[in-house]
Amino acid sequence: MEFTEEQIERYSRHIILPEVGGKGQRRLLDAKVLIVGAGGLGSPTGLYLAAAGVGTIGVADSDAVEMSNLQRQLLHSTPDLGRQKCLSAKETMEAINPDVSVVPHDVRLTSANILDIIAGYDVVVDGSDNFPTRYLVNDACVMARKPLSHAGILRFEGQVTTIIPGEGPCYRCLYPDPPPPGLVPSCQEAGILGAVAGVVGTIQAGEVLKLILGIGDTLVGRLLLYNALEVTFREMRIARHSDCPVCGDHPTVTALIDYEEFCSLRGSGSVSEEVTS
Amino acid sequence: MSVDAPLVTLRFFGALRDTIGQKEVCLPCAGGTVKEILLRFVEEHGDAVRHFIFDEQGNQWRSLLLLLNDEPIEDNQETHVKAGDVISLLLPLAGG
Ligand SMILES: [Zn+2]
Repeated sequence: MEFTEEQIERYSRHIILPEVGGKGQRRLLDAKVLIVGAGGLGSPTGLYLAAAGVGTIGVADSDAVEMSNLQRQLLHSTPDLGRQKCLSAKETMEAINPDVSVVPHDVRLTSANILDIIAGYDVVVDGSDNFPTRYLVNDACVMARKPLSHAGILRFEGQVTTIIPGEGPCYRCLYPDPPPPGLVPSCQEAGILGAVAGVVGTIQAGEVLKLILGIGDTLVGRLLLYNALEVTFREMRIARHSDCPVCGDHPTVTALIDYEEFCSLRGSGSVSEEVTS
Repeated sequence: MSVDAPLVTLRFFGALRDTIGQKEVCLPCAGGTVKEILLRFVEEHGDAVRHFIFDEQGNQWRSLLLLLNDEPIEDNQETHVKAGDVISLLLPLAGG
């Protein structure tokens, strides 16, 4: 399909890059990306993917916009208070770029629905705010062999990596099981510097664009640690573990588990009760 | 502690750093295994630090990521640490 004159102008700074070109821009327009969580990480990711012309962007989030979200969740504005995040996100992204079709998934991801939802996408972005969802998304992406951009943030720090099942380590290769309730605080409990979400979510957007374009080196096999107080980026090498519970040689996690229940069974102060960070 | 002591550095991130109040701690215990060094470290720092690293049965939490000189560790029960090595301790971050 030919570009319109407006598209040639809109994407001119992409098309002029030899690594992208008209062919790459077409790939972006044909790509389908699912963003899990329209929060601090999902906002910059969603904004950049929409502006870049990623043609289909799914947004999975069942929360409504709260006042405490607005300090960093740039997909939403003050008039959106109380609205469903996936609808607010859709409106913002489609206003940036009418070439983009945003598919709202106004559901909490569970073991029952996640495989059906991710089946329609080429790449998944984890911008969720709780461990049950993070482990569910990782396991589902390993099982469905979907590339996954993973990141987590807290206070002044972020961790980001890219997971391509079969090519490198998954989240469980690093952290085989979720931490016990109460050990690791949430953003609600410990806070988050808004711009940390911007830095880390923007790295995720870059990773997704490269995965679609098939250019450069991704964060597969590397865990990038960002510290905003020090302004340091530290890179750790990470490896697939042959005894990983989900991507190892003899996986013990062979079916998706409802981690929300699993974690809340382990005591009070469950990590599954957080509001969106 | 002599400056010539064979030091090993433990480097902390996230909640562990906030709890300990330091980015890193140096211990004069090169030659030991990663596990032995962690046990010695928690003995010196008490329960507030211990519960980030070991469960009540004394097994290392499976939600703790250990790296040696920014590289994966095959087996921290067996891997011996030499002078100048840095063990990094990371916890997953929930927030998004
Ligand atoms: Zn794995």
